[in-house]
Amino acid sequence: MGTILDVKNLKISFRTSGGTVKAVRDISFKLERGKTLAIVGESGSGKSVTSKAILGILAGNAIIEGGEILYDGKDLLKITEEEMCDIRGNRISMIFQDPLSSLNPIVKIGKQITEAMLLKDRGNRREAKKEFDNILGLVKSNSAAALGEGSRAQVDGRIKTFENFNAEAIRMENAYNTARAAAEDLIAKTEDFLFLTSKKQKIDVKSSVKALADNLKKVRNEFFSHGYDQKLDAASQNLREAVRGYKAAKDQSVPENITAAVKNAEDLLRELTGRTEPDFFRIGYYKMKNPQADLHALPVEDLNETAKDYLDQNFMNDFLAMEEQGVAWSFNKALEKKKKVVETLRANRLVFAEGGMNKSASLKWAKDLASEVEDSIDRMEINKDSAAYTFRFAMSDAIERYFNAVKRNPKEEARFARQSRRREALIAKGRTIDWKVVPKVVYDLDELKDNVTRTIDNMTEHYEEYIRSADQVDFYARSVQTVDYMKERGSQMVFRVTRSMAREKAIQLMEEVGIPEPRIRYNQYPFEFSGGMRQRIVIAIALAANPDILICDEPTTALDVTIQAQILELINKLKAERNLSVIFITHDLGVVANMADDIAVMYAGKIVEFGTADEIFYDPRHPYTWALLSSMPDLDTKEKLDAIPGTPPNMIYPPEGDAFAVRNKYAMQIDFEMQPPAFYVSDTHWAASWLLHPDAPKVDPPKIIVDRIERMKKKAGGELG
Amino acid sequence: MSNNGNQEPLLRVEHLCQYFKSGSYENKAVNDVSFDIYKGEVFGLVGESGCGKTTTGRSIIRIYDITSGSIYFKGQRICAGTRSYKDAIKEARKELRELKDGDPASEARRQELEKSISDNREEIRKAKIDHQNSDKMYADKLVKEVKERYEKLFEQAKDKPEELAELKKKYKDELRVAKNTKLITQIQMIFQDPIASLNPRMTVREIISEGLVINGIRDKEYIDEKVYEILEMVGLVREHAGRYPHEFSGGQRQRIGIARSVIMKPDLLIADEPISALDVSIQAQVINLLNDLRDQLGLTILFIAHDLSVVKYFSDRIGVMYYGNMVELAPSDELFAHPMHPYTRSLLSAIPLPDPRAEKRRKRITYNALAAHDYSVDKPTLREIIPGHFVHCNDAEEAAYRKEFNL
Repeated sequence: MGTILDVKNLKISFRTSGGTVKAVRDISFKLERGKTLAIVGESGSGKSVTSKAILGILAGNAIIEGGEILYDGKDLLKITEEEMCDIRGNRISMIFQDPLSSLNPIVKIGKQITEAMLLKDRGNRREAKKEFDNILGLVKSNSAAALGEGSRAQVDGRIKTFENFNAEAIRMENAYNTARAAAEDLIAKTEDFLFLTSKKQKIDVKSSVKALADNLKKVRNEFFSHGYDQKLDAASQNLREAVRGYKAAKDQSVPENITAAVKNAEDLLRELTGRTEPDFFRIGYYKMKNPQADLHALPVEDLNETAKDYLDQNFMNDFLAMEEQGVAWSFNKALEKKKKVVETLRANRLVFAEGGMNKSASLKWAKDLASEVEDSIDRMEINKDSAAYTFRFAMSDAIERYFNAVKRNPKEEARFARQSRRREALIAKGRTIDWKVVPKVVYDLDELKDNVTRTIDNMTEHYEEYIRSADQVDFYARSVQTVDYMKERGSQMVFRVTRSMAREKAIQLMEEVGIPEPRIRYNQYPFEFSGGMRQRIVIAIALAANPDILICDEPTTALDVTIQAQILELINKLKAERNLSVIFITHDLGVVANMADDIAVMYAGKIVEFGTADEIFYDPRHPYTWALLSSMPDLDTKEKLDAIPGTPPNMIYPPEGDAFAVRNKYAMQIDFEMQPPAFYVSDTHWAASWLLHPDAPKVDPPKIIVDRIERMKKKAGGELG
Repeated sequence: MSNNGNQEPLLRVEHLCQYFKSGSYENKAVNDVSFDIYKGEVFGLVGESGCGKTTTGRSIIRIYDITSGSIYFKGQRICAGTRSYKDAIKEARKELRELKDGDPASEARRQELEKSISDNREEIRKAKIDHQNSDKMYADKLVKEVKERYEKLFEQAKDKPEELAELKKKYKDELRVAKNTKLITQIQMIFQDPIASLNPRMTVREIISEGLVINGIRDKEYIDEKVYEILEMVGLVREHAGRYPHEFSGGQRQRIGIARSVIMKPDLLIADEPISALDVSIQAQVINLLNDLRDQLGLTILFIAHDLSVVKYFSDRIGVMYYGNMVELAPSDELFAHPMHPYTRSLLSAIPLPDPRAEKRRKRITYNALAAHDYSVDKPTLREIIPGHFVHCNDAEEAAYRKEFNL
């Protein structure tokens, strides 16, 4: 599985006229691939801010004070807007809370769904080409280095062969794809035709059927329509015959023979698209080696098998063996360097914190360190090592932040003093003043210095972990993965999304998210949809570009129970089908129980408790989690609810100790004085509450929760033990 | 449970229909809904959005003029629609036109029909009078009571001129209040959106006291006192009276909305999704507040919501609505223990629970009105299956339900 998104020490504030609001105060979490992480908390706890930071859509007055959001070898907080554009909506997408304000009211639904697919199309192809060339180059250089000078010719030969037959395969696949796309396009048209005529909608029957007949020849392809050429001709002829002498009827009804002919053509096309796709990658090699062979002598399934065996025996086994050595060589080389880097990092750990360097000197120092780190990256790894890739950014950013603060702090102090003086002078004169002194924004220099040290520490720890687990790496699996990756990029290079394909995919998506009659709905405007339907459209848009990560910001809060249940089921289903990772933000713990694998409870910009769903619901430890759980009745609740008294604290002046202490009836003296660290209850479960300190008095959770857990355990029977 | 058979209901809704015209099409938002609410109970109304539960609430408080049916409050008819009578007249006229002359059998029928037409006309006239004058009738009743009471007092204080003068002043005040009293003010509503339902240009004092002022109370001190009392009752402080709504948080705004509705000392409170727009912790505060108020003031509450766990927690009886119809009506524990109508079952199966293991096992039942019922021949009505438990069904279904629960 592995971590797909890694948020580290994120701190975000907002500049307002009243002062700086500290919305997110040092939170860290990891999102695993294919898992759901729920973030729960009251409004104002910073959960939405966190999700917006991931997408880079924070409000203009936001200040990112520190931290990293690592995704695919990039730090999302530090990349440029252009790079962010590639990720936003494409790789990470979001379902917003209010469907009405997240849809464009004057653009048709269909266009809004297909927009992302069409926009990203060319970019995806370019990207794939770049990646492919890059990886192939790496395989070549590393394998050559691993096998020694003498085998260079052999390696070159193999790489050349790989490149050649892959090019051949791509050419064939391209032609095949074009034909297939044409066929899919025609199927969509026939479906539309049949649907609209059955609904007695007004269409130009004659010209659309003729166009259909003409376009049938576009689906011809050596592989795609092999053995079907005559049938296609017959179908085309049939269609022409059917519309000959057709005159439009008054009630828009269409004669039987036309619909039959169209249906016939559709069935034929469906048969074609339903056939097994040839394995072009392997057939490419087979064809290159045997240019004279008749590829159509065997059925496609057998051909695939033959080509596979042929490739494995003659080329692939050798290639993989060679590649494996290359991967291992590259890995070991990187490992050696990493060991060295760890030492360097250790030695340099406190260089900056000791001070004494000016800006350019420290930037140079950081650059040298970063170059060494980057040098130690194993470029052949398909799962990119985000921390190492972003090290340079993180260092220079932290250092620049520090020196900016050094420069700006005195200015800010002076400004504040000046304004205060002026204000006081005016008050002394007895004037009434209608302006406030803008509070000063002074950065904590030690904190900023620590940021640099922390970046180095994180890197060191990360590499140490890497070195420890070095002997468990399976190089063969890695080389297979690399070939798969190249194959995938190869087919991506030729995969085109046409407008009609995008349309077809959009309609399919609309059907998937449960919108009835998507063909009619496709051409409607947002105002024609009800609340639940609009939310579904928003989900369809979020899924259109096939993202890795889906962020749901209170997707069901505005909906009623039945629709809510449908939407949640839908998200769960899509998650399983597409291996999506989901961040689910809500204030309703009931909704979370079914969705989440892990739950983070947030309060006043901090995560106060983190654990798996079972741990949070059956064994909550933080008083705030108790309060959240006990403030909502479940179906068996009879007693008075435990409402949380008061409101969340003013985050312009965040409290000294535990932020929840003021509203917490279990608060102890220390809660008001010191922030509690994370106490681990189990490997996956921790809570930041002094109650978990070994010296703390033992406190039982509120009765309402104890009772409920008791009931739930009883219901679950022996499961919980 | 305050639902004992011989008690007079506080509110009685009979065959309420509320249609909205949109072009040539008529949207039947509420279609033939009947229920009673007894004094002191909380009646929950649930259903998905668009099923007409809010419309029902709004019709009761006369925000809309109802299309057909009647609503009785404290025995006085406060709303009456005329559509059903008009339809009956139309039907009768149509039949009249088709009757042949001279036939003795049809002659009898003709007389019958003509009588029904004139009866229905009379009904329409009565409905219109009731609809327009319900407040006045109620006010007249109150004025009469006040007059009677003070006549006695005047008699007693005849010899003491100072006391008499004082009494007369009081009498004048009370008489004005009684004259201006509207029956409808004894039904008050809490709105869903605490932001949109408060006028941003009025202070909290003005918002809360507006009802009193409209009802003719001019005594500033009295009003202030009342406002402070109510503010403290809903968990705010006196100082808040001078502020504007935007200075409050969501939960506090909803409290202001509640204070505004409670200050009129209503007998019936219609709470239209009062907690849906609020944060979790605030939701609990508001529910607790409503519970306290109910105990203190003896309120009767019509609680409209879509969160079933909250409705279950808060209500004595629950009505389930589906597309303008009341499909099931039962005491809340009974409803959750033995849901009968397939829609209720589907609704109950959709409730998310704060219990991961139970959630993994929970199977949602889908409801398709067309597939679940065959109403082509036998039309359904609301029938009592178990005492107090009503289900919208026809004969065949009723038999099936009875069999299922061994009745």
